Amino acid sequence: MSAFTRQALVVARRDFTAVVATPTFLLFLLAPLFMILMSLLGLTGAAQIADTSQDKMRIGIIAAPTDGPFLVDADARLRTMLPREIQPPKLDLIPQHGANSAAVAQALLAQPDPNFVAILYGPPEKPTILKEDGRRSTYLATLAEQALRDRKAGIAPGTLLSHAQTTDKKVTTASASSKHATGYAAVFGIFFLTLLLAGQSVGMLAEEKSNKVIEILAAAAPLEAVFLGKLIGMFGVALLFVSFWAGLAGVAIALSASSIPLPPIAAAVGLPAFLLLCALYFTMAFMLLGAIFLGVGAQASTMREIQMMSLPITIFQVAMFGLSSAAAGAPESGLARFAEIFPFSSPFAMAARAANEPEIWPHLVALGWQGLWVAITIWITAGLFRRGVLKSGPGLLSFLRRKR
Amino acid sequence: MPVWAEGLVKTFGGTPAVRGVSLSVPRGMIYGVLGPNGAGKTTTLRMVLGIIDPDAGARTLLGHADPRKVSHRVGYLPEERGLYPAMKAREAIAFMGALRGLDWATGRKRAGEMMEASGLGYAVDRKIRQMSKGMAQLVQLLGSIVHHPELIVLDEPFSGLDPVNQEHLEALVRSERDRGATILFSTHVMSHAERLCERIAVIAGGQRRFEGTVDDARGLLPMQAQYVPCDRAAEAGALLPADARFDGRAWRFTVPDGGAEPMLLSLISAGHGIAGLSMQRPGLHDAFVRIVSDAKRADAEAQA
Repeated sequence: MSAFTRQALVVARRDFTAVVATPTFLLFLLAPLFMILMSLLGLTGAAQIADTSQDKMRIGIIAAPTDGPFLVDADARLRTMLPREIQPPKLDLIPQHGANSAAVAQALLAQPDPNFVAILYGPPEKPTILKEDGRRSTYLATLAEQALRDRKAGIAPGTLLSHAQTTDKKVTTASASSKHATGYAAVFGIFFLTLLLAGQSVGMLAEEKSNKVIEILAAAAPLEAVFLGKLIGMFGVALLFVSFWAGLAGVAIALSASSIPLPPIAAAVGLPAFLLLCALYFTMAFMLLGAIFLGVGAQASTMREIQMMSLPITIFQVAMFGLSSAAAGAPESGLARFAEIFPFSSPFAMAARAANEPEIWPHLVALGWQGLWVAITIWITAGLFRRGVLKSGPGLLSFLRRKR
Repeated sequence: MPVWAEGLVKTFGGTPAVRGVSLSVPRGMIYGVLGPNGAGKTTTLRMVLGIIDPDAGARTLLGHADPRKVSHRVGYLPEERGLYPAMKAREAIAFMGALRGLDWATGRKRAGEMMEASGLGYAVDRKIRQMSKGMAQLVQLLGSIVHHPELIVLDEPFSGLDPVNQEHLEALVRSERDRGATILFSTHVMSHAERLCERIAVIAGGQRRFEGTVDDARGLLPMQAQYVPCDRAAEAGALLPADARFDGRAWRFTVPDGGAEPMLLSLISAGHGIAGLSMQRPGLHDAFVRIVSDAKRADAEAQA
């Protein structure tokens, strides 16, 4: 083990013990009561995302030019007769090209955006309805029947003109809406945990500065090791906290599995990988934001200054959450890509990506990228501390001045 | 050479704190850095230890240009004492050792032994906040030597200690030197330096003004004499140097460059006789005051 790592772990151990072995840690553990309230808000947000995704749902009709207008007219009339709550998703008319409508329908059903849940193709007299497993096809069948009736007069009651054949398409992956909701929940969960736990690091060097221990630490170890150690120590506290409550939640769920309806977790990368990635991204979010908070707090001379700094820090954290949750709602947008690349929103946005897109390799790249930024952030904040508080060494940008 | 520094310069916000200080501390020696308050002693030590980087100049610590590379071979007691108040004494010592590369178990074991030997065995599991300032200071000193460093740097180690603890600390410093460690400490209390140091450097106004042994420093000043005449004491002043002062019983004066003998002969010839005579070198305190005063005067002249 290198001296740097060993010194960081010594500092981490001291900080972890100092926090955990105090009566106030019990108060800290009670914070989830507040968290439960916030989680309820989070679930509301997730439901809103799901509703937004509902707007993106479509039913489709692949029809010949002679049939299309009748089907659209019939849809317009039928839709006005249905209450809003039970109206089907918006209808898209897809012009028929050639005889390969079945393949087109399959392809449309597989694409994520717009999210087709059922598609009718073939002649209205004998249409085929391809639909997602579990969806109902009644509306499209009724539409075909109505379109035929509109064209023919004097149909006897009880006579069926359209004989629809329904085929279920097995959906092996979760629907886009549930994946979006899962992505949002991941963003919210990681954000909330970092808000609750990483914010603690803002005042972590205040103790060392007030009781002059910083001189001992600075003489014995590189400041970067001290900063990293403090982050690891606080992360240990956070892990203990999360493990404790996750354990309790697990027991509660196990005891009442039948009576509590659990929200579905739909992740494109698969559930085990998703959970692992969420844990890793929580680690990265904690280290990245914690390093900023620690560095900013280290510049403060008094508790009042630390309190004053808490507001901009929280605003920054919320901004990262806002960016990432917007990205979770639009997973293929440019905004999502920006949030995935920008280091301080990347852990949140990549967790949402894990819910929405199945590739694993971008996560390996992202974790490396975020790790690099943890190191850069610690280096910068330690340099600022060395320069601003210890009054030592050249400025961080001195190498630029030297080059000039 | 455990500590070597050449031309160290440090400026804080445009105010020069250290202006070209050089130091060479031989191995196995107790070396004192003396100076008045604000002379630049602490800044010099902090630069030597790598806590802050010099603006100019070079230094090596135990032969390494990067002092932090050898931090596990160095012990340091800063001027501003710092311990975690909620830590127990044994843990605090072990923590400081662990920072310097000592494993926790060994650190705890040694902490108990050292505290026992220092008469603090009863307080090994006492929290720092429950200790007196002197006890906490001793704990911190033990923490700075628990890993058996080759070089021990102590910044104003005696400040805030009562005479008994000062005596104890002096003994501890000597025992560490006997173990083979090199000790570099700063102080502005001359009696400690006089008793402990084999070599000293005097820093004033950010510059080194003297380097040598304590005797060398004392040798900068002429001998002082105290003379008690047998008869007509008040009249004897006419035969004494110009700086001679009579306190009603004895005359005190600086021994002239040519020695005291010619003057004593003339005093005997004049019938004053010699009822008492003592001659002694001035103490380090006087030498220090002279060195610092000269430095101030030189700086003022340079500014003028």
